Amino acid sequence: MHDAIIGEQLGLPSAGIMTSNFVSAAELMARALGAEGTRFVVIEHPISSASPEALAERARAAAVDCDAVLRGAPR
Amino acid sequence: MASDPTTIRTQAALRSKRYALDDVMAAQEFFHSRGWTDGLPVVPPTPQAVEACLEWVLMPPEQLLGIEPVRQRPITAEKLAVNAVMAGCLPMHFPVVVTAFSAMLQEPFLLHGATASTGGCAILIVVNGPIRQELGMSGGFNALGPSDRATTVIGRAIRLILYNLLDARPGEVDRSTLGHPGKFSYCVAEDEEHSTWRPLAEERGIPPQASAVTVLAAGAPRQIMNEWTTQPEEILDTVVAEIRANMRHYSIWPGNYALVLPPQLRAHFERAGWSKAEVRRYVAQNARIRRSEWAECGKGSVVGERGEREYAAFTDENDVLVVAAGGPAGGFGAVIPPWYGNKSRAVTLAIGACVDCAS
Repeated sequence: MHDAIIGEQLGLPSAGIMTSNFVSAAELMARALGAEGTRFVVIEHPISSASPEALAERARAAAVDCDAVLRGAPR
Repeated sequence: MASDPTTIRTQAALRSKRYALDDVMAAQEFFHSRGWTDGLPVVPPTPQAVEACLEWVLMPPEQLLGIEPVRQRPITAEKLAVNAVMAGCLPMHFPVVVTAFSAMLQEPFLLHGATASTGGCAILIVVNGPIRQELGMSGGFNALGPSDRATTVIGRAIRLILYNLLDARPGEVDRSTLGHPGKFSYCVAEDEEHSTWRPLAEERGIPPQASAVTVLAAGAPRQIMNEWTTQPEEILDTVVAEIRANMRHYSIWPGNYALVLPPQLRAHFERAGWSKAEVRRYVAQNARIRRSEWAECGKGSVVGERGEREYAAFTDENDVLVVAAGGPAGGFGAVIPPWYGNKSRAVTLAIGACVDCAS
């Protein structure tokens, strides 16, 4: 989240991807960096024990959501 | 007080918000209700107590000790002093707190990662030099527990600073799944008086007789015991086995491991003429596993094609931090593993404040 926010501030279109259990941490980081409300993509937690198929499915969904974030689509 | 110009200067400059509370018990409830404590009682940080800490290190309240790198938060001496007082520190303890936190602010320490990670490490503080004796730090009995007042309150001060200056509270910035008891306080003084070995700080480049602090983002101590040999190699084989267990069960990545060795075990090294350098060399040469070993402990799914690849616990033998500490009897040692390999590096800093220049 930190990197995504800094990327945006540097003019690099960015979309952070969080797992569901880290949503509050991402929101806290956004507040801490003065970027409250920054949109990010949420995928199912956890990823470390996900099967390759499940991971691929999350990646596909995340790609769609990232596209929306990068295009600035409304929530 | 009015005749002391230094006191006037610093008192006038304190900028922390002040609260008027009825008594010390009201202060406890107030601090707890704000989430400013670790659950234990705190010493109310009165302006006078905070001033006394600042006076001791000859720092004005606004003295900038560093910038927290991720969120760009300035860390000032006043804010450290407030938390040090809360933790129970006397002014004489404050130089260690200042130096430890300054070390944590060094880039190689990776402060945000080390304090926010699900891995749940704590900040181990190793104190060397004459200041240990001035503060009554023992490094003897119960060395990794509450061995004495100074080690307890210094370690706790670091935790409260993380709470209150960096929001490293459970569920906020601190995302630890488990954490460990060292997160209350994790400080040890090396027992230099009962050791023929060079102190850790000196081994890491600090001049002899200078006081210094080494900080390490560390997991909980893993205790070992081997009272059935006098051979250095065999004692270290037990240590190595514990490091290998950590690599198998926790993290395979190389990093700074601290080894705490008590007098009963050190005596065997001293009789055999082994210095800390030889200890480090032996451990670094032998602490390694093959990735395929993960399959023996439930992690077969991530062995992949690299089963025969060997992983060393150390990329440099100087990454082994050997600390002489512990009570006089017992063949117990400890392996203190790194939080996350080389992501965070141990940092050693000399204690810069002159606490007794006049004598």
